[in-house]
Amino acid sequence: MSEAATLTKTVELRILRYLPASDESPSFRSFQVPYSDDMSVLQALQTIKDTLDATLSFRWSCRMAVCGSCGMMINGEPRLACNTFLRNLPPGPVTVEALKNFPIERDLVVSVGDFVKKIESIYPYIIPKEPKTVAQGTYLQTPAQLAAYESFSDCINCMLCYAACPQFGENPDFIGPGAMALLQRYNGDSRDGGQQKRLDAIAGEDGVWSCTAVGICSEVCPKHVDPANAINQNKTNSAFDFFLHYLRKDAAQ
Amino acid sequence: MSERRPYTRPIDEDWWKKPPYLSYTARELSGIAVTIYGGVLFTGLFSLWRGPESYNAFLRFLQSPLSLLLNLLLLAVVVYHVVTWFQTLPKTMPKMIVDGKQVPAAKITQIATLAAGGSSLLLILLTMWVAR
Ligand code: SF4
Ligand code: FES
Repeated sequence: MSEAATLTKTVELRILRYLPASDESPSFRSFQVPYSDDMSVLQALQTIKDTLDATLSFRWSCRMAVCGSCGMMINGEPRLACNTFLRNLPPGPVTVEALKNFPIERDLVVSVGDFVKKIESIYPYIIPKEPKTVAQGTYLQTPAQLAAYESFSDCINCMLCYAACPQFGENPDFIGPGAMALLQRYNGDSRDGGQQKRLDAIAGEDGVWSCTAVGICSEVCPKHVDPANAINQNKTNSAFDFFLHYLRKDAAQ
Repeated sequence: MSERRPYTRPIDEDWWKKPPYLSYTARELSGIAVTIYGGVLFTGLFSLWRGPESYNAFLRFLQSPLSLLLNLLLLAVVVYHVVTWFQTLPKTMPKMIVDGKQVPAAKITQIATLAAGGSSLLLILLTMWVAR
């Protein structure tokens, strides 16, 4: 407490609040927080929860841009709260809202169930081309084969790309950038043989074809995963697959 | 008892008018200029098929100040389309791996833009040589 008293500068946070038990709809509330140079938006929220209003809800865990749980709209842009520092924001009140394009559960907490289902739907694991026993040894990979999918494996499932995607906003069933990045992480892996299964999962309007190459998903991604690239190269794959499936032997089903 | 009552915010219908989406909107709209260019070309072909009189009328229209102004405008918009499209190009193609490393997006954009500029120049020179 005494430490807080010595800090004179404060910053105003305008937070979109929603308590399902009592609020009909979300509305903004302002809080004044003691400001320090090294303070992230997440720390400011924690200060509010600790000292001003214990009912404020938000998700966080790692505080170092690794777990992907603290995504929210900060001054209208999707960002990680732990990775966004007050000193880098323009002076004046900081607006904080729940991640766009997702239903709000409470305050800054959004529903993630649909996103998790999408991830599950694309077989997010390696389906070996040729299964090996332990005795047969490991699967080897060249640096070039690793580079082909490596950036896609950096995704932290923060869903910032979904908040940036207007097509997901209009069609919540669109599989979306993050899940497509994960799909490409496996489809692009030289050890994997599950490409066909995954392509079948993403054909159609709710698959890759909702994307119109807006591209902002890649710009807001805190891990430089480039999900727009994952989606767009799979449009080509999906189009090829559409024509080739007439020729495949297993096309009968 | 669960108090869950997820709140769905209304969709922002005007997203395409606002930054950062405005640049996407401009890129897509500038595609219309490419269509108009194609239209001009087809009109020329059509009048060629109809005979010398029609074709001369088409040429006269091309030389009119109105058409020159229109073409200048179209050219500017098409150049904008080409430049912004090649900025998007790296996002639409498979990763290029050279020597085990990924080729940076900026490099791909640069090469593609140079190739487009170079082939346009070549076409102009060729046309001038044929028409000499
Ligand atoms: S692709 Fe990037 S923005 Fe999207 S969920 Fe993964 S880490 Fe987050
Ligand atoms: S708290 Fe883990 S990413 Fe921000």
